[in-house]
Amino acid sequence: MAEDSRRSIIVSCIHDRAPQLMPALQAEIDRRGLAANVDLVDAGCRGLCSVGPVVLIQPENIFYASVGVEDIPELVDKTLVGAGIVERLSYHPPESHEAVCFYRDTPFYSKQLRHVMRDCGIIDPWSIDDYIAAGGYRALGTVLTRMTPEEVIGEVKKSGLRGRGGAGFSTGSKWEHTRHADGEPKYVIANGDEGDPGAFMNRSLMEGDPHSILEGMAIGAYAIGAHDGYIYVRDEYPLAVRNLAHAIEQAVEYGLLGEEILGTDFSFDLHIVRGAGAFVCGESSALMQSVEGKVGEPRPKHFHATERGLWDLPTALNNVETWANIPMIINHGADWFASFGTEGSTGTKTFCLAGSIKNSGLVEVPLGTTLREIIFDIGGGIPDGREFKAVQTGGPSGGCIPASLVDLPVDYDSLSEAGSMMGSGGLIVMNDRTCMVDLARYFLDFLKEESCGKCTPCREGIRRMLQILTDITEGRATMADLDKLETVAETVQVASLCGLGKSAPNPVLSTLRYFRDEYEAHIVDHKCPAGACKALIEYHIIAENCTGCGVCRRRCPQNAISGERKEPHVIDPTLCIKCGICRDVCKFDAVDVR
Amino acid sequence: MPTLIIDGQEVHAQEGQTVLEAARDAGIDIPTLCYHPLLETQGSCRICTVEVIRRGRSTLQTACTYPAWDGLEIRTHSPSVIKTRQTIIGLLLSRCPDVPIIQDLGREYGVTEPLFPPEKPDEKCILCGLCVRTCHELVKADAINFSQRGIERRVGPPFLETTDQCIGCGACTIVCPTGAIDIVLEQSAVYDAKPLGPTSAIHVPSLQAVPRVPVIDTDACIRFRQAALSNGEITDACGVCQTLCEANAIDFTQQDTMVELDIGTIVVATGFAMWDPASLSQYAYGQSPNIITGLEFERLSNAGGPTGGEILLANGEKPKRVAIIHCVGSRDHNAHPYCSRICCMYALKQAHLVRDKTGADVYQFYMDMRAFGKGYEEFYERVQGEGVFMVRGKGAEVEVRPNGELRVKGENANLGIVISVDVDMVVLASAIESQPDADRVASLFGLSRSEDGFFAEAHPKLRPVETNTEGVFLAGVAQGPKDVPDTVAHAGAAASMALSLLDKGEVTISPTVSTVLTRFCTGCGKCIPVCPYTAISLGEDGKSVINAALCKGCGTCAAACPSDAIQPLHFTDDQLVGQIVGVLYE
Repeated sequence: MAEDSRRSIIVSCIHDRAPQLMPALQAEIDRRGLAANVDLVDAGCRGLCSVGPVVLIQPENIFYASVGVEDIPELVDKTLVGAGIVERLSYHPPESHEAVCFYRDTPFYSKQLRHVMRDCGIIDPWSIDDYIAAGGYRALGTVLTRMTPEEVIGEVKKSGLRGRGGAGFSTGSKWEHTRHADGEPKYVIANGDEGDPGAFMNRSLMEGDPHSILEGMAIGAYAIGAHDGYIYVRDEYPLAVRNLAHAIEQAVEYGLLGEEILGTDFSFDLHIVRGAGAFVCGESSALMQSVEGKVGEPRPKHFHATERGLWDLPTALNNVETWANIPMIINHGADWFASFGTEGSTGTKTFCLAGSIKNSGLVEVPLGTTLREIIFDIGGGIPDGREFKAVQTGGPSGGCIPASLVDLPVDYDSLSEAGSMMGSGGLIVMNDRTCMVDLARYFLDFLKEESCGKCTPCREGIRRMLQILTDITEGRATMADLDKLETVAETVQVASLCGLGKSAPNPVLSTLRYFRDEYEAHIVDHKCPAGACKALIEYHIIAENCTGCGVCRRRCPQNAISGERKEPHVIDPTLCIKCGICRDVCKFDAVDVR
Repeated sequence: MPTLIIDGQEVHAQEGQTVLEAARDAGIDIPTLCYHPLLETQGSCRICTVEVIRRGRSTLQTACTYPAWDGLEIRTHSPSVIKTRQTIIGLLLSRCPDVPIIQDLGREYGVTEPLFPPEKPDEKCILCGLCVRTCHELVKADAINFSQRGIERRVGPPFLETTDQCIGCGACTIVCPTGAIDIVLEQSAVYDAKPLGPTSAIHVPSLQAVPRVPVIDTDACIRFRQAALSNGEITDACGVCQTLCEANAIDFTQQDTMVELDIGTIVVATGFAMWDPASLSQYAYGQSPNIITGLEFERLSNAGGPTGGEILLANGEKPKRVAIIHCVGSRDHNAHPYCSRICCMYALKQAHLVRDKTGADVYQFYMDMRAFGKGYEEFYERVQGEGVFMVRGKGAEVEVRPNGELRVKGENANLGIVISVDVDMVVLASAIESQPDADRVASLFGLSRSEDGFFAEAHPKLRPVETNTEGVFLAGVAQGPKDVPDTVAHAGAAASMALSLLDKGEVTISPTVSTVLTRFCTGCGKCIPVCPYTAISLGEDGKSVINAALCKGCGTCAAACPSDAIQPLHFTDDQLVGQIVGVLYE
């Protein structure tokens, strides 16, 4: 590698060790006199959370994982000054122990198709020049100078792009309806109120590549005839708010937003509205209420937002990810876009892999990719030798898909057929130690506080479903309660006011559909097959497996384990609080749950 | 006009109507809880859920919010609708097991038991939000709203603390379908002191009012109160009466107006005022809500009154012992020495009512029973026969005992002993007196007043309805205490006197009236206040003018005039001097 070639060192992540990394790197680069030849880029998220913070060195695409401040001198010395690779810092995939030195060789990335997240973790989100250098705002220029609004809508319709917020309505049709609806002015809104537990795709996008959203919205506004737009971001995402606000400022400064954009007669202003972090404000009508300054509660919507949305005027409301797809469709054409994914679900989609998975993080794949590919090929499978049991898609509003459907293609229609939904893209992977009743209970416990409480079925129904599920997990329920649970779940599903309520029973109904035997085991046998429900389990030590190492005895917080050294230990059930630490620490699988 | 099919019936809806409105207009019943025709719909209770079939697709929707679009098919009682309503009722009943409206719905839909064990059995609020919307949309006070989220949602003022925003109108308690809101008036003593309570802000002043139309009490009306409290900022609060009045008869801008009429005669029938028994402390009036005046008793026993005509104590219970004290403020040199004449008979009537309606023991403390009219003595005997205890002797003192009970002490003159009776209600037959502004009326019409303060008639025996002012007559108690038959007779006489004047069309006056010699009048105005008949005023030329129709020729003005400019006709100075000279000449 020639000494004078220009290098970039790109640091991603807001991992808790990351903030010290940038100044340390800068100091080291300065100390070594490399500042003139090295660009240090503070980029957004690159998705591989399990090994953050990650560092990418270009142009070679050398990829380092779990980089700490103490690694910096060696990294600079070997890779920036010299031309070598610090193998110690290279990524080691969980399934093999061989170092993967280059970004493109990482199985986590090589099997993904990063379109929406194309610039995330590569460019500096604080710099509009970086975005423009990566081809940004070209689509907006094309649209404003060479396309009519109808052509834009036609192109988006043709691409087959469907809403990435979860419902999967055709984006092109939505725009068309908004354009032709009576009422002026019209509005565009980006929904960045990502609230599902375990989901952070929108956040990464807003933090890592805010301009792609701005550009998409400007194109959409031109297409439907709007001159004002709102980005609704929850205030728990302060970095997203900061980056978006800065991006808007820069875009206005560059003439890419505001009055007479790029010298044309199209004007478009964007405003950020910070949400107070209510899950229900992700629901379109509640979101619009909130933007209007009212209490963020859903309103009955017999008219589509495209006709009567914000302030009862025609409004195109899309998820931030949907907006970020738009520039690509314009740049590469609808056919290119539609060539990815399936016939009914085109393009790519970002997912958050969380739960019991080796490579937890943010991934992007073409729609139609099977769960197996996402979970096992990209995600690396289930850690600790556990078995894959199910995956929850779509957060609390989604449903649970069992291991038997692991070859299910992930697209809008297949997921709804399986009783779940796309949602915004959360994938929570569960192993055989996850109790499905407890899982449903967890989500309802979340919803009991996140339901706005306005309508009877949702408010009272969630309270009662949660009550039954708690009874089941604590061994108090009867089979009659199971029928009651289904009755209430069905009513909440059909009779609730908004999408939150209508989808609230999904975790219950889908687990009932696929794991009814687990429910029955709790009720009839008073057993939790997964060994998770404390009231129904008892820990004990299998004498044949126990080597008497004493690790469990020392770690037990209740001193409930006793035994002589090198002799099988025993657990005193009267002292045991079922915390499960003994089972986690036992290297010999000697702790069992009954 | 959109046409839809509701339960197989073709219904023509008005443009802009909802399915609920269209169905109700067509006589089809859909249950509701959170709906109110005057408030914005919210669609939150979901009990009005119906099956909507649109373009072949069936969904469950709330009728109160769903637009009555052309071509819809609605099923208000299909199996899925019934099942949904049953579950919702079961959930509501689990929340509020003791609320009649939910229990009634439950019976209608066969849900008699809560679906789940109630957590708070005395919970009444179903969170329908009618109160919140009423406070926001109608009262415009925004004193209450929802707080918290999800299953913690509740209704209350900010931070659930007393707020100045609340004007205590009570509108929320009226719209609440479950009786979940209690209103505690900070100045409740105002209402507690008397069992008669406030009247509605719109009421007919009395059942005999002419014209018999309601009036708005601007001190109680939400709209006027909000305008006053907000210093005129909120002028469009409430207005529900205007929305509801089909005759379009309500005009908030209406003001009191002065009407000027040319009239020929005047009948003064200004009635009387009730003497306030609080001015004699021995009656303890105002110290207990169960010590009331005779007039307050009349309101209490009236079918249009606050208890619907039931005679009740302030705590809502029936009285067991009632004392009626006569001559409270009448025949009493500390108050009015005269007899108020009406009290004996109404006290007897009230004793009869108490016996009849409650069966309570009644003690009549009286000095003399003045049953003077036709049939009155017979009624007195009848009431005696009803078991009323007649205590001859004035009720001297009413004592409010520490436990709130009442004790009446007095003399039984027949037995010559002092007695004391414990009762739970005391009715004070308080005196009637002249109106507080009688002096102003007297000077306006040139009337004189007798010692008792009532207007004086021209002659106590021969001219009982006439006054010293020509064309002005007296009727009823304005002239002196009278009961109803006497008042009617007196008023009839006054009316006929007035009519005979009007019928004639002209007035014959005595020729002896005063006249102003304008040449000498300096316009000093001294004659004006001395005229007892208000017959003199200053004319346009600045000189005194005498209204010959009012002048009685008394000559006071002539005597008062410093420039001798007023002369009584036929009694001029010259004539009088001539007469004197004639007499002396002989």
